Amino acid sequence: MNQLEAVIEKEKGISYSQRDKDLFSSHILILIHQEQESKKFIRKLCLILFLAVGTLSLLFSQISEIANDFTVGLSDAITGDILTTVVFSYGLLFALLALLKKPDFIFS
Amino acid sequence: METDEELVKRTLSGETDCYGVLVQRHADYLFGLGMRLTAGNREFAEDISQQSFLRVYKYLKSFNPKKKFKQWLTGIAVNCYKDLSNKESQYLSLEVIDEPSYTPDLGGNTGFFELIKPLAEDERTIFTLRYVYEYQIDEIAEVVGLKSGTVKSKISRALEKLR
Repeated sequence: MNQLEAVIEKEKGISYSQRDKDLFSSHILILIHQEQESKKFIRKLCLILFLAVGTLSLLFSQISEIANDFTVGLSDAITGDILTTVVFSYGLLFALLALLKKPDFIFS
Repeated sequence: METDEELVKRTLSGETDCYGVLVQRHADYLFGLGMRLTAGNREFAEDISQQSFLRVYKYLKSFNPKKKFKQWLTGIAVNCYKDLSNKESQYLSLEVIDEPSYTPDLGGNTGFFELIKPLAEDERTIFTLRYVYEYQIDEIAEVVGLKSGTVKSKISRALEKLR
């Protein structure tokens, strides 16, 4: 028992010291900061996902209406203004190209 | 000099640098405790110390300022020691290797490290807290989360093993 007590008494007298306490402390603070940042990032990501899913579900619920509107609009446009504009634009383009091939006609 | 409890309060109010002061103040204590619990394994002791400080910060809000910060810190360090020991043993059971995954660095009183080696993990913890750090039985019971009677019986068992 005396030997046991002697070993314990000796151990009590020993002090252990952490290597590079400043570095160790900064390291701990950096790890804490990193963890906080990653938590913030995950929170933001969850919020964005939640909003994205919400927006998409709203869009999908009205997709048939949007599709209908689009098709009707497109058919109207084809039968009306767009067709005339396209014909006019291509006509103008061909006329200009024909003129460019004959520079004498322009500059004389 | 500010007390630990005041530093905790300031840390909780957003002054993270105050936690750095707490870390510096208790780094040697936790490292020493880790060295004693691991029977002189410096790397393991440093891991325990680091994990304990991270865990302390995580649960800082749950700290009761009426209690001693050092005692609370000791409880968390003991839990970290248990968790890390379990991880280490799981790792060893997965891979059968001849050498330990760490090199013991017996930089302190090797007689003490040799003395506590035959003790089980919880006996070693309780024995060290009782005889080296001179904690009272009730305090140890609170730190390790056991009843006082269980702590007493574990101390007796540890002493029997060491005789």
